[in-house]
Amino acid sequence: MAQRLRRYGRTLLSFWATSLEAELEYQLNLVIELLAVLGNLAGSLFVLVLLAGPSGQLGGWSWNSALVVLGIYTLLDGFTSCVLQPNLSKIVSHVQNGTLDFVLLKPIDSQFWLSTRSFSPWGLPGVIAGLALIGWALVHNGEALSAGGMALAVALLVAGGLILYSLWFLLAGLSIWFVKVWNATEVLRYTLVAGRYPISAYPPALRLVFTLVLPVAFLTTVPAEALLGRASAAWALGSLAAAAISLVGTRLFWQFALRHYTSASS
Amino acid sequence: MAHRNGLKPVQRALRIAAALLSSQYAYMLEYRAEIALWALSGVLPLIMLAVWQGSAGAAAAGLNPQGLGRYFLAAFVVRQFSVVWLIHVFEEDALQGKLSPQLLQPLQPLWRYLAAHVAEQATRVPFVALMLAAVLVLKPGLLWLPSAGQLLLGIVAIQAAFVLRFLLQTLVAMLCFWSERAAALDRLLLIPYLFLSGLVAPLESFPPAVRRLAECTPFPAMVSFPAKLLAGESVDVAGGFLNLALWCAVLFPLSRLLWQAGVRRYSAMGA
Amino acid sequence: MSQPIVHAEGLSKSFRVADKQPGLAGTMRHLLRRSYREVEAVRDLRFAIQPGEIVGFLGPNGAGKTTTLKMLSGLIHPSAGRVEVAGCLPQRRQERFLQQITLVMGNRQQLIWDLPPLDSLRVNAAVYGIDPTEAKRRIHELAEMLELGEELQRPVRKLSLGQRMKAELLAALLHQPSVLFLDEPTLGLDVNAQARVRDFLADYNRRTGATVLLTSHYMGDITALCERVLLIHQGRLFHDGSLDALTSRLAPCREVRLELRQVHPREAFEGFGTIEVHQGHQVRLVIPREQLTQQVGLLLSRFEVVDLEVSDPPIEELIGGLFRQQG
Repeated sequence: MAQRLRRYGRTLLSFWATSLEAELEYQLNLVIELLAVLGNLAGSLFVLVLLAGPSGQLGGWSWNSALVVLGIYTLLDGFTSCVLQPNLSKIVSHVQNGTLDFVLLKPIDSQFWLSTRSFSPWGLPGVIAGLALIGWALVHNGEALSAGGMALAVALLVAGGLILYSLWFLLAGLSIWFVKVWNATEVLRYTLVAGRYPISAYPPALRLVFTLVLPVAFLTTVPAEALLGRASAAWALGSLAAAAISLVGTRLFWQFALRHYTSASS
Repeated sequence: MAHRNGLKPVQRALRIAAALLSSQYAYMLEYRAEIALWALSGVLPLIMLAVWQGSAGAAAAGLNPQGLGRYFLAAFVVRQFSVVWLIHVFEEDALQGKLSPQLLQPLQPLWRYLAAHVAEQATRVPFVALMLAAVLVLKPGLLWLPSAGQLLLGIVAIQAAFVLRFLLQTLVAMLCFWSERAAALDRLLLIPYLFLSGLVAPLESFPPAVRRLAECTPFPAMVSFPAKLLAGESVDVAGGFLNLALWCAVLFPLSRLLWQAGVRRYSAMGA
Repeated sequence: MSQPIVHAEGLSKSFRVADKQPGLAGTMRHLLRRSYREVEAVRDLRFAIQPGEIVGFLGPNGAGKTTTLKMLSGLIHPSAGRVEVAGCLPQRRQERFLQQITLVMGNRQQLIWDLPPLDSLRVNAAVYGIDPTEAKRRIHELAEMLELGEELQRPVRKLSLGQRMKAELLAALLHQPSVLFLDEPTLGLDVNAQARVRDFLADYNRRTGATVLLTSHYMGDITALCERVLLIHQGRLFHDGSLDALTSRLAPCREVRLELRQVHPREAFEGFGTIEVHQGHQVRLVIPREQLTQQVGLLLSRFEVVDLEVSDPPIEELIGGLFRQQG
């Protein structure tokens, strides 16, 4: 077991080393990414100011607290650019070019391979900016977080990341059946911008949608509440449960997809 | 005036346009599913509408819920029919050498891309209609019927905004002849488009200084002006169209210059 | 007799293909009521391969060779029948099975396009759990056998097709599999490159005793490498035996191409052999081997021949001819 873990670990390192090597040929990208992240952040902050108006409140959240939500969104967006997008958007080209066969014949779990094969450093500015924003807002928050509270917040952030991964994986995996809807993950990316703002800023009907249908609430609002020290047990448990269920869901989905692929492809 | 095949230039142009549009439309129909999804990804104005409704900022700027609803719904429609994706296909074609056969034909290749965009818009119509219907079923209060005049002006303004965006992206696309990463530059341009055009925040909510700054750029003409026309808000119609025309007049010769320089470089590099 | 390393029994595969008419009407009908038809790719295959054999799956395009190879490697589930490779059921894709096999496809590659092959090799070494020093040694050994040197350090996209294929083979053999599945490995290669690949495979088999299963529609691959040939036609196994047996069974004839000075009617050539082509000055005949010299002599004496060429008919024609005769 330990040997297998070591092998997977070594494999992951080699995946990301070769990935970085291929990407780092383009240095201009770094400048553009930095500018893009900063520009987007500036714009989002500007809109937040406009929304908050003279009262400095959005959906009952103080300006500072809303910054935490925005920071988590930026962090998750950076994570998407680093890991989710470079890997999962390739599934459709694997199916189209027939190279999925090579992945299936390696003695490594195919879901692991497809999910972690590439690492794009261009998402890192987003990750760093997000963390910086969160840090800044927390420092100005006043209330310090206990160790347990911090642990919970991190767990909920990870849960949010896993839910995001599951959503991406589900949509990208559909290309095993439908190659023509490869841009479904783009739709996801564009709809998740709703996570920029705390969920209470939305009308009640939409809040329901953002909890049950497109779980934006678990992605940004719930971890933000934990970081601000006002996590509610119900939401936290719900988030952790949703993360576990969605992860298991991706596994079942992938087995199902492979069964289809191996019986239908010629 | 040169006559080719005995056709007058106008006739020839119309014939080419008809052929291009019909072939591109047939092509786009094959990609219906993908286009439907692209239409779906244009929900941003609707999300922003949800956030703006009942926000403190809206009240402070004097924006009533009904006005906001109409504005953002109109902005949604404007964005759907003025989206430009030239940079992505052009970069791919230029890098893969697919531009060469096009350059050998007596037709400026950019017309092909324009036709593709128009065809894509036509293919989008049913999906946008479906989305609008869905929104209106959920919130019937948002429904309004613009007058015939408003509708006509609105459509003209949307198409003018589309042409403006197309020209702007053409400028960036021409950089493909010099750099492999021109598409990334377009990403940067997307930022002022998003925030200064009125797509995510109505210009009324801007502080006056920022608003004046925004109005010096072409971006408000791309969303705010056509959206307001459609929404039936009072807006300087003549001034707005003049603004659009001026921006197009500036960008068109620039893009032509860049195109010629770029093609010279492309052929010099051995296309 | 030792245990066979590859064993297939009643192996069949059929695909359900949606029957869709073109056009808008067809799309609507398809939406409302789907009709499917069964396409039988492979039917009732039965063979056993001993370790260390080099076996060729021969047949024209669409015969079912690639489908068979994919079933043997576990990429496709059989519709019926049973297959066992290296003591495992391929479709389970167990780790110990995957460590023992490798698949190389002539029209697809697993090497990373923008990076030198060495980087892909590093990844493979990690994936298969090969110790870095051991991996280095194996790379060195295989590179020598394949005559690859500094190519390993150049990005794959900058290599010629032949070099790319050699690098693919290196990557595929790094983990020292005991069963090699090769699907059209010499596709698109020039004559020299083809010869080198064949030499390498023969050498590798000699040195390591690995079992090689190879599909090809090039007769040359088969002649150079395979002592045993499985001929698949329209999904069925029609021949399982030595190449000599197949050759004498299938090609008791040779193809004679004539360019004549004058045009002669078709009947003039009837008695010499099967007429394949009769077009103006060009005539192509298929003549049984035993009668070759006699008939050619007669042709030369009876007609004014400008040019004459004697060759083996292409394998597709031989196989087609075989079933024209039997059917």
